[in-house]
Amino acid sequence: MRKNKLLLLISSAAVLLLLVGAAAEENYLREWRRIQAQGRSDEGSIPVQLRQVVNPGLGVADRCVSCHVSMGPGEQGVRGAAVFVPHKPVVHDPADYGCTVCHGGQGQATEKSDAHGDVHFWPEPMLDKSMSYAGCGTCHVALHVPEQAQLRAAELAFERLDCYSCHRVDGKGGTVRPDQGGMEGPNLSRTGLVAYDKEWHAKHTAKSAAASDGPWKKAFRAVGSDDLTLLDTFLATRVAAPQLVSAKSVFLSYGCLGCHKVSGVGGDDGPDLTRAGFKDPGQVSFEHVPGTGSMANWMAEHFRAPASVVVGSQMPAAAVSENEIRQLTFFTLSLRRKELRDVYLPKDRIRAAKFGEREFSADGATLYGAFCAGCHGADGHGRRLSGLVSFPSIANPDFLAIAPDALLTKTIEIGRPGRRMPAWLKADALNADDVKAVIAHIRTLSAAAIESDPHPPRWVKGDAAEGKRLFSSTCSGCHGSYGAGGEGPALNNKVLLESATDHYLVETIKRGRRGTAMSSFLEPSPVRPALTQSDIENLVAYLRSLQGGKS
Amino acid sequence: MTPTTKDALREFSDNLKAVPRRVMETAFRTGPPTTDRTRSTFVFGNVFLHLHAVRTHRWSLKWTTTMGLGIMSVSAFLIALVTGVMLMFYYKPYPEAAYESIKDIHFVVPTGRLIRNLHRWSANLMVVAVILHMARAFYTAAYRKPREYNWLMGIGLLVVTLGLSFTGYLLPWDQLAYWAITIGANIAQSPREITDALGITDYFDPGGFQRLLLLGSDMVGAEALIRFYLLHVMILPLALAALMGVHFWRIRKDGGMVRPADADDQLFRQPREEALPIFTEAPAKTYHLAAIVRGRTSNVGRGPENTVPSMPHLFYAELGVLMVTLLVCLALSLVSDAPLKELANPSVPENPAKAPWYFLGLQEMVAFSAFMGGIGIPSIVLIGLALIPYLDRETEGTGRWFGGPGGWPLVRLSIVLGLAAPILIESFVIRFGWLREWFPSVPQLVITMLNPGTLLTAVYAFFSMWCIRRYGSTRAGALALFTCFLCGFLVLTIVGTYFRGPNWVFYWSPSEWPKH
Repeated sequence: MRKNKLLLLISSAAVLLLLVGAAAEENYLREWRRIQAQGRSDEGSIPVQLRQVVNPGLGVADRCVSCHVSMGPGEQGVRGAAVFVPHKPVVHDPADYGCTVCHGGQGQATEKSDAHGDVHFWPEPMLDKSMSYAGCGTCHVALHVPEQAQLRAAELAFERLDCYSCHRVDGKGGTVRPDQGGMEGPNLSRTGLVAYDKEWHAKHTAKSAAASDGPWKKAFRAVGSDDLTLLDTFLATRVAAPQLVSAKSVFLSYGCLGCHKVSGVGGDDGPDLTRAGFKDPGQVSFEHVPGTGSMANWMAEHFRAPASVVVGSQMPAAAVSENEIRQLTFFTLSLRRKELRDVYLPKDRIRAAKFGEREFSADGATLYGAFCAGCHGADGHGRRLSGLVSFPSIANPDFLAIAPDALLTKTIEIGRPGRRMPAWLKADALNADDVKAVIAHIRTLSAAAIESDPHPPRWVKGDAAEGKRLFSSTCSGCHGSYGAGGEGPALNNKVLLESATDHYLVETIKRGRRGTAMSSFLEPSPVRPALTQSDIENLVAYLRSLQGGKS
Repeated sequence: MTPTTKDALREFSDNLKAVPRRVMETAFRTGPPTTDRTRSTFVFGNVFLHLHAVRTHRWSLKWTTTMGLGIMSVSAFLIALVTGVMLMFYYKPYPEAAYESIKDIHFVVPTGRLIRNLHRWSANLMVVAVILHMARAFYTAAYRKPREYNWLMGIGLLVVTLGLSFTGYLLPWDQLAYWAITIGANIAQSPREITDALGITDYFDPGGFQRLLLLGSDMVGAEALIRFYLLHVMILPLALAALMGVHFWRIRKDGGMVRPADADDQLFRQPREEALPIFTEAPAKTYHLAAIVRGRTSNVGRGPENTVPSMPHLFYAELGVLMVTLLVCLALSLVSDAPLKELANPSVPENPAKAPWYFLGLQEMVAFSAFMGGIGIPSIVLIGLALIPYLDRETEGTGRWFGGPGGWPLVRLSIVLGLAAPILIESFVIRFGWLREWFPSVPQLVITMLNPGTLLTAVYAFFSMWCIRRYGSTRAGALALFTCFLCGFLVLTIVGTYFRGPNWVFYWSPSEWPKH
């Protein structure tokens, strides 16, 4: 009896003690309470209470401001602890928009590690501070971004032409340089978002002409048309997130859209990346990823060696610098595209979704960079990737000298059915103008001018049977029996045979392609005799007989 | 005389003042439990307490009699019940939402983490307490007449307890849950091992049917989740409550706790802790309820000398165990969080995918034969357990720890053998492999019949037979066999929990696992 009574007493007392302890811990010892207790505003100490930013429209209830008090609504003046730093001025006041919309993390949690997503298996960890601007991608899309060379040129043009003397852009320039004759001009950091006066240059010139002295006279000079294009590119891409734009331009330079779709535009061979930034680190394998288990780390390693991170991936390793890998990671993390209520849909998203404006600039270099560079290489010299048929060099001067625009157009528009080259003329990829622009860009990849074709498209009258014999002995080693393709391209392809002129085929065999295994067949080589003009015509006649893939 | 307004008001105020006292009086109609009589009426006048006898034998209150394990099981269940109902306020039984809601409970809901931890720890403690309670009942031979039926109820409770714990495992819908349940479902399907070997799966497929019944679809998905949820929060708790009701009621009907025939003598030899008067000044007879009950009751036909009123003696003890259980759960909950891994992903199997810990002994055997390890041997064990009271009809040693022929020395020997046999077999298998490694083409049916699990069972059975002959007693054989199985369960569970890594390969510690 006494033993049992004592047992009851002691165990009850201990339970009570633990419960009181747990309650005290839950209610008084929380880190945010200690932090708020240090807080001072102009009126004295601040009340210690759970603070939160609620925005039902965005689905946000962020308690981050329980520690980051001075970022909360109406509490900018709170000070006293290291964490009480007002948010740097941004268009979206965190007191309205909350924190997790941009930064990710767990808004409702009230402990630091939980809130920042530093716990194991948290599906949406906070974006690393260096990648905060990737959060813009939750709602925004940057439109009309060019590939990186042009973007760089545009940025340099803005600097070279001393526009910074008067204009402040992304925290640079403006009246900090009065010695250059500058004055306070409009801030241009957001011209890509809010639009700008397309007549600016004419108006600038007029004002400059009217002025007798002062900044308008001293600091402004008329700009040439090339530079004007660059400046327009620059202005169209100012969305107050320069890091994001330059990361996007890297993405648009390595042909990623050739295989991946973003917001419904791009190829079909790889996974859709529209929401790749929300990828759950718990749903991917970190088996071959050294370092921490962060999504940024996974992506960076994936860009370095795709197949070793994702087993069976055919994605080529992006042969780029560490900085570019960082930017690709940054951009992929920014691919969030949250579903939003109409009132919160930003203009750029509306322009993209409702008015068909595209995320990339429509010039040939950018289109080539976005859609073609992945396989044909940024310089057009083709790529050889393990496990895949090698991708032909389209910048080869021997090719460009004899390939008519019609051939290039057909090839891009229809592709090579049954081969890796897809048809690009379609609603979710390129339009007819784009194809023209791409061809114009391809022409610039080599100095070779297109030669005129003296013949009609079909003029060869050779002996196909003789050509067949020659083909098996001379060509099939690379091009496969019946031209089905091997190490070299397939020649029995319907689209190729329909769009290639006889001149193109004959000249290709005669000249070969310098720098490839296809040498000139007019010259003998150690492994075969030279062909004569009639041999070549017989071969072309044989190739013509392969039309439709038949032997 | 008509009362004046003033008098009526005074009466009203007097009544108002008397409300607390009157409420107590009407709730406990027989007055404060200060005499033997009122203590008795206190017990049988209360719907919950009257499952207890009004008087309790002092032997039952000795700590060594039961170690409070039965009450501990109930207490753990009660804690799990209360915390479980609390969790239901936030839990949503749909695949993605389930995971999100557990995340919310864990990270956002005030005290949610503590409640979830309490639920998890009380559930685990319940499994442990139920197993230990069964061991206690076995080792004190409490299953013997007249308690045979209650032993069966106890086995039912064990199965339902494991079922409750197992069904709760899926609900967080994380990787851990998903793959543990996938393993469980595959075990349910394991009769296919036999039907496949016989080539009759197309016509007779009890394995596939069991799996389909459990999952409601071909794979662990939304249907499985809602099934497990319903089983976990509704069907199994109701079944458990019903079985528990019978179990408690039978304790009383079967004469309270088992005690040795000489319990009274032993108690008289010890100094009395206190000298409560057995018959107090209230002359009313305390046994009037017992007298009208037919059959065996706790006290009919025996001297009341060694009994004490259940109120308060027994209730102090029971409450004490409840509080100790709560204390243990609370302490564990405050220092150790319930696990929550990444969202379930059917395309990325966990490696190793492990069942809940109490099934890891089975999983260890399942590695060789899903049917034998997951269904065959557990069924043999359960049937064996159920048969014990009907095979052992001896009387020697009832109510004494390790009572019966052989006694503690036999149990000691059984522990040695029970531990040595699985350790040796496991070591052999880990070092040299098993039939499949030696003869890759051996039919699975051969492995189903001849695997470490069946070998171990055979060794134990042989040893048990030997004990029956050696001691000339079924109880001796039961002691040996039960001890051996308990040890085997322990060894296999430890191996499965701590020494098995990816692909169920042996590792000395998880730090040696191939790096992720």
